[in-house]
Amino acid sequence: MVIEEENQNIEQLIRELARKLLEEKQVDVIIGYAKGTVPLSSAPIVIDKVEDVDKLIWNNLCYINLAKYLVPRIPQFTDPEKGDLKVGIVSKGCVGRALIHLSVEQQLDLNNIKIIGIPCNGIINRKKIEKEIGEREILELSVSGDNIVVKGRDFEQTLPFDEYENELCKVCKVKSPPTIADICIGECLENPVIMDDFTDVADFDSKTPDEKWEYVKSLLEPCTRCYACREACPMCYCNLCFVDQNKPVWFGKTTELSDIIIFHLIRALHMAGRCVACGACSSVCPMGIDLTFITRSLEKIAKERYGFTSGIDPKTLPPMMAFDMDDEQEFMLEED
Amino acid sequence: MSDIQTKTDQSEKKEEWEPKIIAFLCNWCSYAGADLAGVSRIQYPANIRIVRVPCSGRVNPFFIIKSLLRGWDGVVVSGCHPGDCHYISGNLVARRRFTFLKELLNLFGIEPDRVTFMWSSASEGDRFATLIKKATNMIKKIGPNKKFEKTW
Amino acid sequence: MGEKLLNKSDIGKLINELGKEYSIYAATNDKQGNIIFDKIEKAEDILLDYLNSKIPPKSVLFPKVETLFEYEIKDDDIEITNPKDLYEKRIIFGIRPCDAYSFQLFENFFGYGQFKDELFKTKKENTILFGIGCNLPRQTCFCTSVEGHPHKKDDVDVFLVDLGDKYLVESISEKGKNIVQKLSWLSNTTEADIQKAKELSKLAEESMSTKIDIKKVIKIFQENFDNPIWDDISMSCIGCGSCTLLCPTCHCFDVIDENDPMSKKGRRIRLWDTCQSSIYTLETSGHNPRPNKVQRFRNRILHKFCYYPTNYDLIGCVGCGRCINICPVNNDLRNIFNSILKIEKKEEVKVV
Repeated sequence: MVIEEENQNIEQLIRELARKLLEEKQVDVIIGYAKGTVPLSSAPIVIDKVEDVDKLIWNNLCYINLAKYLVPRIPQFTDPEKGDLKVGIVSKGCVGRALIHLSVEQQLDLNNIKIIGIPCNGIINRKKIEKEIGEREILELSVSGDNIVVKGRDFEQTLPFDEYENELCKVCKVKSPPTIADICIGECLENPVIMDDFTDVADFDSKTPDEKWEYVKSLLEPCTRCYACREACPMCYCNLCFVDQNKPVWFGKTTELSDIIIFHLIRALHMAGRCVACGACSSVCPMGIDLTFITRSLEKIAKERYGFTSGIDPKTLPPMMAFDMDDEQEFMLEED
Repeated sequence: MSDIQTKTDQSEKKEEWEPKIIAFLCNWCSYAGADLAGVSRIQYPANIRIVRVPCSGRVNPFFIIKSLLRGWDGVVVSGCHPGDCHYISGNLVARRRFTFLKELLNLFGIEPDRVTFMWSSASEGDRFATLIKKATNMIKKIGPNKKFEKTW
Repeated sequence: MGEKLLNKSDIGKLINELGKEYSIYAATNDKQGNIIFDKIEKAEDILLDYLNSKIPPKSVLFPKVETLFEYEIKDDDIEITNPKDLYEKRIIFGIRPCDAYSFQLFENFFGYGQFKDELFKTKKENTILFGIGCNLPRQTCFCTSVEGHPHKKDDVDVFLVDLGDKYLVESISEKGKNIVQKLSWLSNTTEADIQKAKELSKLAEESMSTKIDIKKVIKIFQENFDNPIWDDISMSCIGCGSCTLLCPTCHCFDVIDENDPMSKKGRRIRLWDTCQSSIYTLETSGHNPRPNKVQRFRNRILHKFCYYPTNYDLIGCVGCGRCINICPVNNDLRNIFNSILKIEKKEEVKVV
């Protein structure tokens, strides 16, 4: 099936299920995506009336991870009388994974949530399109067949969808949320067994430390420490982030190279075994930094060492929350 | 005469650069082991400065990274052998933490030999000295820590 | 009068001549392809056909990380040195009228009251602004709604209009007149050129697709601080701060002391801060007057469209539209205005 047709089917599925949930009062509100006012965007919305169901859309620009709106740091779905509101959430695979992982970390109660599962068919890489079009203003972007059509004031360009897809979406193995009885409706993944050989990050390991340092330096240099990546990530829900701590001050807040690299290194360390590879961090970066290789490497480490993929099973503990007597320790220093 | 002069030239050259290494040692095993090495007069390189922590599980990865930022050329963390921790499982928790930290430091291009982890018990003074010697030689080979230098 | 013509092929000559006395800052590509205002080494690096830069030109005079002073601990004394680039003579070339107006707002902020910011003041005095008019504004631009215009000349020293293969050069201020006089090789204008510039200005104004009744919006803001509509408007905001980063009028900063323990040197710096950060108003006592996202969101909008007009009679927004383009959740400022305009007035008109 071509992408355009898939999008229409997914949109229909979302609206059907949303209507059903609201009419049967199984939920109080539904969080989903609406059409953006600027060509390369989509806007998360919250609806609570059946009439508003037609505002929900699906296009390949829905890059925000909606699980972010349910972390306790942003409390907005509680009512003084009713307590916690029941929420229906339009979930592509990574959103479902994020919700399951947040429930493993005891940050939300899955019984208050209905996951509207959809078979995601990929997100467009906005920065790559903007780079391709250059300084001409984009007035409209649409998907036709298997291509992306970009229109401006005096130009029209057709680009192949597979090339301009997000790097993480190209290798994604969890396109719909993992199924949970009574909570996940719509299209969900039954008994997911994730097989991944991580060929996209394999050749990075063969570089020398200096080559890796140069690569990381050139990648992270434009960072302006705006923390949009941290705010868009559903796993970053600390009340006081380590960069803001001042008893003691751990790391600098400037845009010096050493400070920038340390921020991303520590953030990656805190994501170890928790990142769900949704790509929201790369999509929201105002400077266009692509953090794909960090998220993929983190997944690789968790999978190869501990056989763990985050957000698949609500009952397995992530690697950093457990330990084992027989863990591998080949990196320990030993006598010759 | 000339022979003696060349010998002093050589010894002066050897005093070029000595790495500064910070060592986080757990109080019950590794710190006692280091003490035993000292009492038994076992020689090991004087490059390390020791920080005593109650358990290797107390070592926050921030300590290690902040040390590298401050210009230390190497970091050594040493704890009890798995199964022998004074607090039962502190070193097992630490081992997982160190695994991820080591992998991430490798990913970002920091030389793998700069940060080393080891297990050493209170009765192994000899082993402590050998491992410290090995770590110091590894760090001497890779050179001083220049990657995090401030540019102002 | 006193307009001159500059051929596009002579831009290199202009930059080289001016570059002898001044440091030239203009729009150029950074390594990732983003357009920023940076120091120009070669004339070929300048971008002239750009819509608008990603990071606004405030970064030239109010940089992201600015040293206030440096210190060094000596044996019996502490030596303090001022920043080295304070008296550097600069030209900012190719700035849009909206961004030029933002410097007026900065002068108001840094120069208000008893304590004036000497750093910004000195830097601004030693800077000459070369503006370029917008012939084709973006769909998201709305400078005409906030008392601006795509060809507004008041806030720059020299104003250029793109006539196709040449620029019309007009000196506005004394600084501008002096500089244009030095460039004696510029050709003279014809009446046709001046007419074309006027036409382009009119076309640009008419092509603005966004029009907002800002006076009414300001009035409604002044009367509706506690309105529950703020919860709906700020629902999708994630508090990322991208809007404050790219806003030409946002000027909040944080002051930090840094030291290098190896060399007994240190410095005090100021960095850009964002009011959307959860610890923006956190006091040392632990109390935080704005703990919730709604309050911080409301503060930003009211600061630009209510407190500034009320206190200084200036609108705190230049209408560049960068916040609309960059917002990751597409929380469009224009939609906010439309929602606000739908609020009925508190005092109902008496129906007789």
